[in-house]
Amino acid sequence: MSASSRRASVDALDQLFAKAAPALNAQPGDLESVGGAIRVKSDPGKSLTWAQACGKLGGLPLTVRGKNPGPGNLISQGVGGIQMADVSVDIETGIVKMNRMVAVQDCGLIIDLKTAESQVYGALIMGICSALYEEKIMDQNTGKMLNPNMEFYKLAGIGDIGELMVHMMTGKGYDERGPIGLGEPPTVSPGAAISNAVANAVGVRVPYLPLTPDKVLAALEKKGGANHAGI
Amino acid sequence: MRAFEYANPATKEQAVGLLSNSWGETEVLAGGTDLISLMKDEVIAPKRLVNIKGITELHGIATNIKTGLRIGATATIQDLLDNAIVHRTFPALWDAAEGITSPQIRNMGTVGGDLCQRPRCWYYRGGYGLFAKTEKGDPLVPGGDNRYHAILGNSGPAYFVNPSSLAPALIAYGATFRVFGSSGKRDIPAEKFFLTPKSEGEREYDLKSNEILTEIIVPMAAGARGVTYEVRQKEALDWPLAAASVVVNLAAGKVRSARIVLGHVAPVPWRSQDAEAALVGHAIDEKTAQAAAEAAVKDASPLSRNGYKVQLARVAVKRAILAAAKGGVR
Repeated sequence: MSASSRRASVDALDQLFAKAAPALNAQPGDLESVGGAIRVKSDPGKSLTWAQACGKLGGLPLTVRGKNPGPGNLISQGVGGIQMADVSVDIETGIVKMNRMVAVQDCGLIIDLKTAESQVYGALIMGICSALYEEKIMDQNTGKMLNPNMEFYKLAGIGDIGELMVHMMTGKGYDERGPIGLGEPPTVSPGAAISNAVANAVGVRVPYLPLTPDKVLAALEKKGGANHAGI
Repeated sequence: MRAFEYANPATKEQAVGLLSNSWGETEVLAGGTDLISLMKDEVIAPKRLVNIKGITELHGIATNIKTGLRIGATATIQDLLDNAIVHRTFPALWDAAEGITSPQIRNMGTVGGDLCQRPRCWYYRGGYGLFAKTEKGDPLVPGGDNRYHAILGNSGPAYFVNPSSLAPALIAYGATFRVFGSSGKRDIPAEKFFLTPKSEGEREYDLKSNEILTEIIVPMAAGARGVTYEVRQKEALDWPLAAASVVVNLAAGKVRSARIVLGHVAPVPWRSQDAEAALVGHAIDEKTAQAAAEAAVKDASPLSRNGYKVQLARVAVKRAILAAAKGGVR
């Protein structure tokens, strides 16, 4: 589905509400379309079947043309989002475990909420992988990649992801800007959010990604041997 | 992958007859989870594969109160996990099997395959040979990326770690490996089965190219408490960075005997008698567990990039000992 077909559908429904409203003694804005019926939001008993509502259209069918905003009106940049990570760090081993991650994301007009959310879930999962696991390891002496396999080029499994929560911004201020991008924007934050969570947990910053046990332990040692605190 | 001949013997005598008397010509196929990737990556190119899955007497797990647990070489990792005796009486072995978190590998991979799989050293897998050398013969590991390599027993030319998940637990339980060759069967204590090769052409275990591992016998461990603790970065399938299997017998609250074996730290599963000695005669608490852990890594000599593994090995030993004191029996 495209943005223009969504705009056309929404506009066509608004016109149908305008035609059906007098028969229900209501204003067009008070109507909703639910389960094949047009009904009054505050009084669902007052309703017309879809066929009855269409009967109010008269002789001519509704013809609506959806149009995207023209050049200059379509904002194609400047999406916003925020992410927060909740992690546990084993200070004896340097292993970081994801507990939870929350993403709030704007991408202008959302055409299909479920697939938009799914895009952000995917971004969080890949973001966790790059923050904790993924690394292209090149050998300095031979110039060859040492981990061109799924064994040492590590990716998270389900148990490594933790709980994910995604909230998409919709409504006034978002929808009228038209659809903007959603592929990359939510992949920007996970590394920083997870790294910040680790720094907050252990009191020292680990200034590298991925946050592997060797790097976390080295940072802890630099801080003052926290890794030896418990052993 | 190169073309190869496939043999499907029904008996171990036939299998041994199909194996070459020099390494490289033939390979034994069980689950194939390691062998096939080695062949696809052209690390090895055997002329013949001898499938041993059709040999009935290598299947299954059986218990005998006198002789102990008998694990057929082609029993799968999942067979271990599904076995109530393994779960109850040999928890360190069960823990080790559970550490292999891929259902596919648990169902395809065999116990014998876990014990005989080749090192995961990325230079070996990249085609630089078991000792990872350049064409000029310079070793790649000491000056290369050795983050996953050995911290003990690593004076060379072998720097890889033994990859077996089950071996430390089997050694800790005092298991015996039975192998079969043209001159009959040999019994080898699990601890002596693993070798550090010194020259190209040697393998990491005490098998000749025309012998097969047929079964593992684990003596009954009455009263023993056993735990395997793996330090793995991921929950999903991931090689341990360090692991420890601990089997202890307690009497009057004190350790009467102990076996402590580390995994993924040396070219062989690494039994630490120093750690065992540090524990025997003491009650297990944070302090004694820590002392044993320190003893286990006392001789560690990390390479340029794997110093962190010393700490992880120490933690694995300490946590396995503490867990054995609290539980280790089911």
